[in-house]
Amino acid sequence: MPPLYQVTNLKYRYGEHFQLDVPELTIEQGASIGFAGSNGSGKTTLLRLLAFIEPPEEGEIRFEGEVMTGNGGGPKRDVTMLLQEPYLLKRSVFENVAFGLRIRDDRKDFRKRVCGAMELVGLSPKEFARRRWHELSGGEAQRIALASRLVLRPKVLILDEPTASVDQQSARLIKEAIIECRRQFGMSLIIASHDRVWLNSATDTVKRMHEGRIVGTGAENVLAGPWNSAENGLYIKELPGGQVLFVTKPPRADAAGVVNPSDIVISVTQPDGISTRNILRGIVTHMAMERDSGDILVEVDTGDISLLSRLTPSAVQALHLVPGKEVWALFKASAVDWY
Amino acid sequence: MDYIAQGFIRSIELLLIGDPETYSAIFMTLRVSSLSIVASLVIGIPLGFLLGYFEFPGKRQVRAVVDTLLALPTVVVGLFVYAFISRRGPFGELGILFTIPGIAVAQTILITPIVISLTATAIESLDRRLQATLVTLGARGKQILLTSLMEARYAVLVAAVTAYGRAISEVGISMMIGGNIKWHTRTITTAIALETGKGDFAVGMALGIVLLTLALVVNSSLTLLKKRS
Repeated sequence: MPPLYQVTNLKYRYGEHFQLDVPELTIEQGASIGFAGSNGSGKTTLLRLLAFIEPPEEGEIRFEGEVMTGNGGGPKRDVTMLLQEPYLLKRSVFENVAFGLRIRDDRKDFRKRVCGAMELVGLSPKEFARRRWHELSGGEAQRIALASRLVLRPKVLILDEPTASVDQQSARLIKEAIIECRRQFGMSLIIASHDRVWLNSATDTVKRMHEGRIVGTGAENVLAGPWNSAENGLYIKELPGGQVLFVTKPPRADAAGVVNPSDIVISVTQPDGISTRNILRGIVTHMAMERDSGDILVEVDTGDISLLSRLTPSAVQALHLVPGKEVWALFKASAVDWY
Repeated sequence: MDYIAQGFIRSIELLLIGDPETYSAIFMTLRVSSLSIVASLVIGIPLGFLLGYFEFPGKRQVRAVVDTLLALPTVVVGLFVYAFISRRGPFGELGILFTIPGIAVAQTILITPIVISLTATAIESLDRRLQATLVTLGARGKQILLTSLMEARYAVLVAAVTAYGRAISEVGISMMIGGNIKWHTRTITTAIALETGKGDFAVGMALGIVLLTLALVVNSSLTLLKKRS
């Protein structure tokens, strides 16, 4: 069976400066893949292209072996995407969830399936089915928008920042719903989120995006330039809050460096007399178990950048880490890889 | 001042006893405005949708012409339609001068630009996420167009109600094309003009009260619809 997606030399310009550039990307059938990156890194553009909402300017996207570039192929009904700011149709919640089935004239177990999708996202049909589109909170609207996609049992579900404007409970319910749907129907998941901890807990693999390019696989931390020359052959970047990043010689002054979360050590006291150059004070903001390794990903917000550290559960226990705790994130200047 | 108060009391009496002449003008108004609003919606909604939804060369110019026609003076419409449907005109054989269909044709010309322009604005104001949402839910071609129109339904209804308000309150067309013939083409507005000229304030006021009530209903509907849209 051919891969779900095969992307080759994909390019898309957005405005004068931004350009998405993906030389190669393969997504296998049934995969669950996440794209992490800051705002403007190209996640949404890539997702819109994978959802066939827009055609690529250059390059080729093959869907199950079929070329979908240019006018040759239209959007596929097997692929559905939840936009970052979902739009609910001006009708009842039930009719919103049922819309996709109605336009497909798919009436088998109609009511049961619509109600089932609502229950899947944690919203009681009895309470919500008759509500109007404007009688929902942001989190409820997001979950209804998700339910209207899940009811279609798509081959591919693409989610763009599904937790950007929802509370923690909604974020948890969204994650549970998509994981359950994937288990039941075997659909593939493609999710973009700047919330790396949530993303790592919801998907099997995560790719990092930076300035329109895929820069690594996993929960890597991306350190953007520009870098200035300093003593001992090291280069530095002074962060707005006053803290300083030390790196080895970058290939270019504006190159982006990548640090593996396993290379970031956490200390609950201020380290002193050690050779590590990067010692950044911050606050623990999120913690989540990595699905594959069983390790804990700890996100530390330094005020200027956020860093992910991969720790064992016993280390987390020993350090008594909880969100809100002040910590120091440490890594060597030589731990930075360049691309 | 007494004659105004007496006129008001008499107008209430005329409405309560069901004065045939007064009610004839009311029903004539409702009949002609209903005909013209149906025709203008049938023509105006599809054209307004096309104008608002699609990009095409000359769109801005077309829009400017439609918007200019919003301010069409009723007497100018009356004049041109009269010229076309009078015996000497190209459509004289139809014999619709001084008839209800004749007034309805002229009113349709008057209010269709309102329906086109406001429908186009309603479609242009649709949320930019709608199209992408419909595509991702699997909608195609006609389904996208119809659902987009459904999403703009409250704003399109605002267009219809605004146009209806203009139709029931105009006097120039009804006077010139209808001829203000008692029992046949006399509408509320032409009757008010005539009765006031004759000094019969009671009938004029009775009809004025009905017209104001209609205007109130139209405006309340507008407020409600604007809130929903």
